[in-house]
Amino acid sequence: MLQHSDITALFITLRLAATTTLILLVVGTPIAWWLANTRSRLRSPIEAIIALPLVLPPTVLGFYLLLAFSPDSPLGGAVASLGLPSLAFSFTGLVLGSVIYSMPFVVQPLQNSFVSLGKRPLEVAATLGASTFDRFISVVLPLSKMGYLTAAVLGFAHTLGEFGVVLMIGGNIPGETQVLSIAIYDHVEALEYSQAHWLAGGLLISSFLVLLMTYGMNRRIHLMKTS
Amino acid sequence: MIDVELLLQRSEFQLNTKFSVPSRGVTAVFGPSGCGKTTLLRAIAGIEPDAVGSLEVNGQHWQTPHERLPVEARRVGLVFQHPSLFPHLTVEENLLYGRKRLEKATNPYDLKELILILGIEELLNRHPDSLSGGELQRVALGRALLAEPKLLLMDEPLSMLDQASRETLIQLLENFLQQLDIPIFYVTHSSEEVARLADNLVLLSRGDVTACGPTATVLASLDSELSRSESAFSVLQGEISSKELPGLLCIECSDGIDLKVPTSESMVAKHYPLGRAVRLRIRARDVSICLERPQQSSILNILPAVIAEISTSSDSGSRLIRLDIAGMHVLSKISEYSVQQLGLHAKQVVFAQIKSASLV
Repeated sequence: MLQHSDITALFITLRLAATTTLILLVVGTPIAWWLANTRSRLRSPIEAIIALPLVLPPTVLGFYLLLAFSPDSPLGGAVASLGLPSLAFSFTGLVLGSVIYSMPFVVQPLQNSFVSLGKRPLEVAATLGASTFDRFISVVLPLSKMGYLTAAVLGFAHTLGEFGVVLMIGGNIPGETQVLSIAIYDHVEALEYSQAHWLAGGLLISSFLVLLMTYGMNRRIHLMKTS
Repeated sequence: MIDVELLLQRSEFQLNTKFSVPSRGVTAVFGPSGCGKTTLLRAIAGIEPDAVGSLEVNGQHWQTPHERLPVEARRVGLVFQHPSLFPHLTVEENLLYGRKRLEKATNPYDLKELILILGIEELLNRHPDSLSGGELQRVALGRALLAEPKLLLMDEPLSMLDQASRETLIQLLENFLQQLDIPIFYVTHSSEEVARLADNLVLLSRGDVTACGPTATVLASLDSELSRSESAFSVLQGEISSKELPGLLCIECSDGIDLKVPTSESMVAKHYPLGRAVRLRIRARDVSICLERPQQSSILNILPAVIAEISTSSDSGSRLIRLDIAGMHVLSKISEYSVQQLGLHAKQVVFAQIKSASLV
């Protein structure tokens, strides 16, 4: 059965994934909107940077984040001079790492959703007197529901499965930075296969259920639109 | 007045317009596809970011070379060619979207009355995806008007509809647009819509305004692209003066000048009470010229006329002639050969045979 430390790891993982997803939905929205609408030359470089976590080994990302968190770096130095605890080996550090690591999984679905919306509904809303912010709230958000759902699920699920980055910047502090994927790794290392089974199986089934629900909902909304 | 002076440069296209139209009535923007009609309308609405120049609507500067009023502050009503209701809102929510955002609603249009006029009372709780094309356009028109626009822009609102719903909607527009107290720009490439709806006409060709003025005047000019084309036509206004002849309506277009138009009995009873103002469209091809009044002809309308002007150049063997019939201008397109055979010249008194005139 699950040990106490496993349950702690489960809660840390869920908290990490939820926090990361929430931050990404807030931060990712303006980025995705800008990418979907800009004619700037900076678009392609920014798109490439955001997509980097898709191709880079997580250890590369983790390595640079670890360097950035050290007190000698500008970021780590700024954190230290503010009298805040170091980001390395902390939950906050994990959140920051996960936000970067899962960014493409949130930004890309949002961007696709904004692009497929087209300009027309926004032009209509503008002629009807809606300001930019008003247009976003009253037209873009409701018409991008599916995009937000997909972005949230993918962002959450991807953070759930994070391993390399966490290992590099979070270490493996039980009750602090030990997440499920690392707990599984520890059990396997210690040849505790039954514990590993519980965690791995649980993760597998719950991930499958979440994706099933998402695709099911996607289909229902699609059917509603075409009926 | 509405003063437009808008320019837009694209790689393969240039819009270069300068014209003024009165601040009331329907101004049709007419031209072949690709001539920039829609782009002009979008530039007036303020949704073409690259359009430069100036635009003044009833004394209010919407755009100057230095500044532009944002779209949401312009108060334009826009009805697109493709119906564009918000799919996530019901018909009623769509209708009220603009009205809810008015700082101070003066409600020139009573909601219930407008819903009845547009015939959309059954649709209020439905979603746009279950509506027909004609229904969507009627709701879109209602939504635009309820936002109390200072200018209504319509971009070929009928072109995506089937024949039956087009006829229904154009009849509605004929009665309805005239009653509105705001100027209307109506983009179209249909001469029928021009004849039925337009008080003023702006002709657009490859991004340039080639003519602008009251519909009858623009149509009567011989050198416009439209009058040189095969579809040249004239529009006469009149009112129904008699229904006594079987199968015919008499329409008095000018003092003592009656035109007879064949029509079915059912139509007469339904739509045409005595005294009703109507418009007639007469194709230039359907007007021929005789030097003497023909006797015993099957042609219904033979009227004395004076040749006001004959086009100097011929287009594919035809000449265009502007006839003055008791002060009204009617175009006639006849062959170059006939012009010479009959020795036609300006100020000559002739008879115009109008083979067919259609009530529009």
